[in-house]
Amino acid sequence: MMKVLIIEDENSLQRSIQQYLTAEGSTCDCASAYDSAYQKLSTYDYDCVLLDLTLPDGEGLQLLRYLKKLNKTDGVLIISARDSIDQRIEGLQLGADDYLVKPFHLSELNARITAIVRRRNFAGNNVVVFHEIEIDLNARQVKVNDRVLYFTRKEFDILLYFVANKGKVISKAAAATHIWGDDADMADSFDFIYTHIKNMRKKLTDAGCKDYFHSIYGIGYKFTEV
Amino acid sequence: MKLFSSYNRILLVISFSGLIIIGVLFYKTLGYYLDRQMDDGLVEELMEVKDFTHAKNILPAPDYYQDLVVEYKRIDKVQNTSSFADTIYFNPKKHQREAARYLKTDINLNHKAYRVLIMSSKLQRNEEIRSICLVIIIPFFLLLILLYWVNRILINKLWAPFRQLLVNIKAFNLNHEGSFESVPTHIEEFSELNNAIADLSFKVRSDYKEIKLFTENASHEMMTPLAVINSKLDTMLQSARLGAEESETLIDLYKATSKLTKLNQSLLLLVKIDNNLIRDAEEIAVVDMITEKQAFFSELIHKRDLKIVLHLNPVYLVQSRQLFDILINNLFSNAIRHNYEGGLINIVLTETSLTFSNTGHTGILNEEMIFERFYKDSVSEGTGLGLAILRQICNRLHYHLNYSYVDQMHTFTVSFN
Repeated sequence: MMKVLIIEDENSLQRSIQQYLTAEGSTCDCASAYDSAYQKLSTYDYDCVLLDLTLPDGEGLQLLRYLKKLNKTDGVLIISARDSIDQRIEGLQLGADDYLVKPFHLSELNARITAIVRRRNFAGNNVVVFHEIEIDLNARQVKVNDRVLYFTRKEFDILLYFVANKGKVISKAAAATHIWGDDADMADSFDFIYTHIKNMRKKLTDAGCKDYFHSIYGIGYKFTEV
Repeated sequence: MKLFSSYNRILLVISFSGLIIIGVLFYKTLGYYLDRQMDDGLVEELMEVKDFTHAKNILPAPDYYQDLVVEYKRIDKVQNTSSFADTIYFNPKKHQREAARYLKTDINLNHKAYRVLIMSSKLQRNEEIRSICLVIIIPFFLLLILLYWVNRILINKLWAPFRQLLVNIKAFNLNHEGSFESVPTHIEEFSELNNAIADLSFKVRSDYKEIKLFTENASHEMMTPLAVINSKLDTMLQSARLGAEESETLIDLYKATSKLTKLNQSLLLLVKIDNNLIRDAEEIAVVDMITEKQAFFSELIHKRDLKIVLHLNPVYLVQSRQLFDILINNLFSNAIRHNYEGGLINIVLTETSLTFSNTGHTGILNEEMIFERFYKDSVSEGTGLGLAILRQICNRLHYHLNYSYVDQMHTFTVSFN
């Protein structure tokens, strides 16, 4: 249960993000312009603020400066159409937690928000639990019923990604982008996601874990109980 | 051919042919004039001979004349002709053969006909001609050499601004900051050329800047709509009513969107490299980077059953990490993408160069074409920008990128120096 402020001037994108996050059980506030964002930041506290840097009536980084001046502990995730190192560094130096370049997958956005909120709320204790699965983020270890499983780096990342987006359908495209970034367009990356998930499934079920991966028509997977 | 050589060639041909024509005409005229003079002398001698015969009624003895040779010959009948001609005779005093001119005529003495031949050596006359010619030709030659040197110095001096202009034009590079440098000159033509080039370079530069700005802006502007498409696809995916057919459509849409995104990112990357916006220089352990990339591509390498042979010397470079990462990434991805199942990739890293060679379906590729933007073979799924980006990065890092086809292997070599 998170409280998120979405500062984004592109309304349809704003709606999609809101829809996705609300379905997760989070509460979302929206602001399409500098002024309304400014007011909301002054009045309320959020777990995470999604900040678009180019707003019609102002500069997103100004809002970030303002937020830090208020000494608020809101996590900040910058979402920008500009992939410039300078801007990225400036944003992070001003106190943003992460920087996500458009276009992104909603599952990626959600995973980043979850990570930010987790870091802020449970300083030190970095263990994500999903039923019998325990994911230790510091040791990068996966435990099932207290038994340590050997996961490769990519498998670990994929599992964490799915757990952060539990109950959601994650497209293979999104999972591939999460692992391979810009090179995800490699013709075979969809097959590799399949292979990775197949391997993970085997490792988890061999350790006595229930099979939470559900394939959806060859387009993606859903990590869920049911 | 240089302007000076071309100019000199023409000048020399004209001078020499002029010299030869004038020389010949001069020689002929002088010779003719001197011959006339000699002929007059010979006629005078003949008069003396005639006077002598009239007075003494005998022919003068041949050795009566000091510088002349006089001969008499009996003939049957006097013919009223006299002729001048050139000949060669043996000078008994000097014991050598000499050119000579003679006058041949018939005279009557005591009703007997004699043919008289008066011959005078041409030696002196020839010497006269020679010295006159020398007196004229030597100064003329000296004048010609002087003219040559003056021309050389003058042309060099006059064309110096032009050469400097050429140097500056060659130094002009759209990708570098410096603008075209004008050359100060008083010569109107050069100064006009100067201004024309300065204007042209300014226009080219501003147009180029505009195009880059346009590309950058267009690519950026496309990112937000792409984000909308992506997010809508993600939202649709969550729908419970999704059937097999809709899923197929979604897969294709995802693929197209991701390709469009990649294309856009590549274009932006090219603009950024062009504008020298990536300058995060730091020390890079190249070997580590290559092994990391190998792990990154491990699924692809494994699936294609590719054999990778590494010969890596520990090399550290101070360069932009981001650019170098893309460089190795593109080399790797290229070698994997255009390989066949069970193929081979050789990676050799030395202090001076990095070489990727791979087997492939095609034979030797056109080196001119492969680095062009959007050039790709029909089966390639890529954007067609990978090698263009590679070349751009090499230009930016001042590396030399070279393609060759050795032992059935496509070989890309990046030389660090």
